[in-house]
Amino acid sequence: MVTATRADSARRLAVFLAVLGLAAGPVPRPGYAAPVPDPGDAAPAPSSASQPSPAGPPSPTAPGDGPGPPAAPAPDPVASRGADLYLRTCASCHGPAGEGSQRGPSLVGVGPASVDFQLSTGRMPVDQETRQPPHRRPAFSAADIRALVAYVDSLGGGGPQIPTVGPGDLREGRELFLANCAACHSATGGGATLTNGLVAPSLDRSTPVQVAEAIRVGPGLMPAFPENVLGPEQVDAVAGYVQHLRGGRLDRGGASLGRLGPITEGLVAWVIGLALLVGVVRWLGGRAGR
Amino acid sequence: MTGRGTPDRRERVSSAVVAAAFGVSALGAAGFAAVYATGGQTQLEGLTLAVAFAGIAVGLSVWARRLLPTGGYVEEHEPFDSPPADLRLAAEALTGPESPVRRRGLLAMLGLALGALAGAALFPLRSLLPFDRQRPARALRTTPWAAGVRLVRADGTPVRPADVPDGTVLTVFPQGHRSRGDVPAFAVRLDPARFTAPPPGGTVAGVVVYSLLCTHAGCPVALYLQGTARVLCPCHQSTFDLLAGARPVAGPAARPLPGLPITVDVEGYLVATGDFTAPPGAGFWSLR
Amino acid sequence: MITRWLSGRLARSLDDRLRVAPVLRRALAKVFPDHWSFMFGEIALYSFVVLVLTGVFLTLFFEPSTADTVYSGAYAPLDGSRTSAAYASTVRLSFDVRAGLLMRQTHHWSALLFVGAIVLHLLRVFFTGAYRRPREINWLIGVTMLALALFNGFTGYSIPDDLLSGTGLRILYSVTQSIPLVGEWLVFLAAGGEFPTAELVPRMFVSHVLLVPAVLAALIAAHLGILLRQKHSQFPGPGRTENNVVGSRFWPSYTVRTLALFAWVLAVAFALGGLAQINPVWIYGPFDPAQATSPAQPDWYVAWGDGALRLFPAVEFRVFGRLVPSPFLPGVVFGGLTFAGLYLWPFLERRRRRRRDRLAHQLLDPPRAHPARIGFGVGVLALFAVLLAAAADDILARILRLPVLHVLSILRVLALALPVSAGVVAYLVARALRAGGGRGIGELTRSDVRSAMRFGSRAGGVSTGVGDPSPVATAEPAAGSHDAARIELWRDPDGLWRWRYRDAVVVLAASQAYRSRPEAERAAATAYGDLPAREVAPSGGRTGEPAAMRERAGRIAGRAGGYLALAAVALWRGRRARRRPPP
Repeated sequence: MVTATRADSARRLAVFLAVLGLAAGPVPRPGYAAPVPDPGDAAPAPSSASQPSPAGPPSPTAPGDGPGPPAAPAPDPVASRGADLYLRTCASCHGPAGEGSQRGPSLVGVGPASVDFQLSTGRMPVDQETRQPPHRRPAFSAADIRALVAYVDSLGGGGPQIPTVGPGDLREGRELFLANCAACHSATGGGATLTNGLVAPSLDRSTPVQVAEAIRVGPGLMPAFPENVLGPEQVDAVAGYVQHLRGGRLDRGGASLGRLGPITEGLVAWVIGLALLVGVVRWLGGRAGR
Repeated sequence: MTGRGTPDRRERVSSAVVAAAFGVSALGAAGFAAVYATGGQTQLEGLTLAVAFAGIAVGLSVWARRLLPTGGYVEEHEPFDSPPADLRLAAEALTGPESPVRRRGLLAMLGLALGALAGAALFPLRSLLPFDRQRPARALRTTPWAAGVRLVRADGTPVRPADVPDGTVLTVFPQGHRSRGDVPAFAVRLDPARFTAPPPGGTVAGVVVYSLLCTHAGCPVALYLQGTARVLCPCHQSTFDLLAGARPVAGPAARPLPGLPITVDVEGYLVATGDFTAPPGAGFWSLR
Repeated sequence: MITRWLSGRLARSLDDRLRVAPVLRRALAKVFPDHWSFMFGEIALYSFVVLVLTGVFLTLFFEPSTADTVYSGAYAPLDGSRTSAAYASTVRLSFDVRAGLLMRQTHHWSALLFVGAIVLHLLRVFFTGAYRRPREINWLIGVTMLALALFNGFTGYSIPDDLLSGTGLRILYSVTQSIPLVGEWLVFLAAGGEFPTAELVPRMFVSHVLLVPAVLAALIAAHLGILLRQKHSQFPGPGRTENNVVGSRFWPSYTVRTLALFAWVLAVAFALGGLAQINPVWIYGPFDPAQATSPAQPDWYVAWGDGALRLFPAVEFRVFGRLVPSPFLPGVVFGGLTFAGLYLWPFLERRRRRRRDRLAHQLLDPPRAHPARIGFGVGVLALFAVLLAAAADDILARILRLPVLHVLSILRVLALALPVSAGVVAYLVARALRAGGGRGIGELTRSDVRSAMRFGSRAGGVSTGVGDPSPVATAEPAAGSHDAARIELWRDPDGLWRWRYRDAVVVLAASQAYRSRPEAERAAATAYGDLPAREVAPSGGRTGEPAAMRERAGRIAGRAGGYLALAAVALWRGRRARRRPPP
């Protein structure tokens, strides 16, 4: 059994990594990344050189984590790239200096973790105003996201930094996930319904860094978990367990049926099991001469 | 029945199908044994076993459909009213001169004895009640929360007001009673200026504490919607507004979440000053 | 050879001691009606057998205790965690016991199939009026078995002590607790204290594996015993009367057919058990009263109760200053009404039709024959469908991208409107079908519908032929309806008497032989009243059958044996070729 399980998980891991690589690959969306400067938005670029480096040293994270932490001291090309992208794609809602507007909240002091989370999960920028942008392919490349993060951070400091995620303890991760996350995101990581048409999204596409960022930032309706509630090792553990939940690794029993629980199971029992048996019975119990 | 070929040929084909199906079944069974012996794998085990049974099923079905007659028989179905003579004889046998049913007095006493026994047999049911012999209503009404009991996290560490973060809820328990069903509560920091009704348990530096159990069916109202200051029950979607004294605003719950009166002890930790302001969880008859 | 031994020595030695031949002869000749809808109950029966078989396997590994244990095993995220023994042993059963997960999942899938088949069977019995006199006792037993199946399903779902089922258990506890006056005492008696108690899992376990299955087994025996005594009911048709059963004999036709169905049920249960994951408790985690997972639903067969809890508005009131909590009306009262309605239905309906209070019914109603019954049944079904949907309101809201409270409002409207409209439509369709005499809905004409809408006069009720609900016409095989109908008797060379029924459409042979002519005549008269009977020459038709059968069976068995031997040899060779030192 051990060999079978190991071979199985190795195969699943390979598929999983391949998918991850594809998903996290920098695929710029033409609508946003078109390199056409708009002369109308020529706001003065703030001096980003004076800002301190937003994050510590780059850390070893799981492969295919999406964008890593922003690079140390932003050289001028990056800063101007960030300013350029910001003015073209963000400023119309969040204001030229990140002060916010009717259409978007202020970005001053939200912190790099928040900006990186919104951009790397493709939630920002949005096509149209919506109450809850879904997880999509990111609109920007990893380098562009780094530049934007650095630029927004330069508009006003503070807020959580992009966490560095190390390997976490699986057992602790499971316990913390069930205690803190399962109520909304479901014990299966599949997400669930909140009120007012909002949902706690599925975690099936979340990278460890994105999980850690969400824990610290609390995007949207999600509660934020500061360091005195969940320490860094605990965040590592939760992020590690979420990776374990992703994909089909834990679906040892066969088809997961969306991990939606007894309702889909009941549906399958009727639509497949009982329908099959009723068909059999119709065949077996047919009258002579038919 | 329509079909190609002569009846004899049809029959030969059918019996070949049946034999082949039984052969496939045997292969499935052997496959199951092989999968099991080489370490087992749930999907392959299920598949091989299903093939083994499906082989028998197909074989027997074809056998029944093609090689055996269907229908064409009739069986008489005698009516269920017995012949009058039988009825009379049965009644006489039951109520004849030696019949016990004639001894009315003895029967009455026997009935009394059996009734008493049945009543007595109900008493051991009492053993199913809790060992501590507490009355249910009293047990349901009270919890271990009491004046001076510290609020602790799931890992047992006590909580200071400053440990209750902005933006999330902290599940808390009375010290020493982590796993009881009626104790879970949550602490949350809210801006007192936003209160539309005073929290029933009072507030310490913006921190309020409520029972975690829904007043509808007792599920933990563990979905906290940051910003709206509402909690949602995952079972039946009851929603409680923490700014309005945890009043139910949607769903089937009809009573607000009970609050926990709190204060700070000399060491700066949060302690309860008494039990919940109402019995926590689902309602019951003697809830006042 | 085996068959000869079976019919010879074994049978004789058994008969010497038990005198089985007269009983066996009649039992083997029992006639089963040939209609597919009569086999739903068998699906339930065989699912029960699968449940017992897989359940016994599970009890060998499951530990019914909430005592603290440390799980150590192949499931890494739980390795080293402290959980209850029940939960740890369930995960161990799923991950560390070979074929354990297959057995657990097959057990759970068969439970879903079991209740589903019971419901199908109940619907067949309901819509064809098979519960009428003399079968009220079996209806009551059947409804009791349904209730026990629901209860046992719930306890089985709850004993692993996982987070999802623990939440469900808490809801059931709260619903029971909501009963005025006695609720608090009831839950304390059942659970031994305030939820969650250490006694709950062991008590549910005893009930799940011993008490309820034993009662179910006894009730199944009673159900089948009464069925044997009362014989089958049947749909009306040529040659069928209130005093006979037309169909296939138990041996050999129906035996092979029902064994085939048994194998099908096993195949479907194990296919689902191996290929489709069900109740992955390892992902849900152990129960903790302070934790929750979402979405939270129970298994489908109790989900209608959960749906009622979600749909019903927040109504709580006080009686004499005491509280009647909100789960009482949708949980206790609605559930109680459901089962009270099921139990009382045959008697309620009989009371309404005073005219034929006393008649026994062996011929079933075609569903269309009673528009009121079909309308009521379809309406109730529609209500339960809405309740099931309501139990999944959060999942529906996510799929439809609507706020869950909107979904709830829509479902509330549907819960009131759909049963009524579906019931009325079913009622009118049944009336139209009855008036038109067509075979199906596709053949309805406009005039049928018009006549169905005409009330006052009994226009919708006037009918001829198959759909005729009048018992008078079907109870007596009036000579006029069987133009050429007659009974033919003959004496076989072995001295036994046989008879058959013959009319323009069918020829039906008596299922057994008789030792004398009067015996045969009496049986024919019981089945068909005083149809003209006449003696004819013996015919080879059915009598040559056993020899051919035996030959055929021998051929098939021989061929199957050959394939089996071939497979065994191939397997053995393969094993030898691949034999390698153990790791």
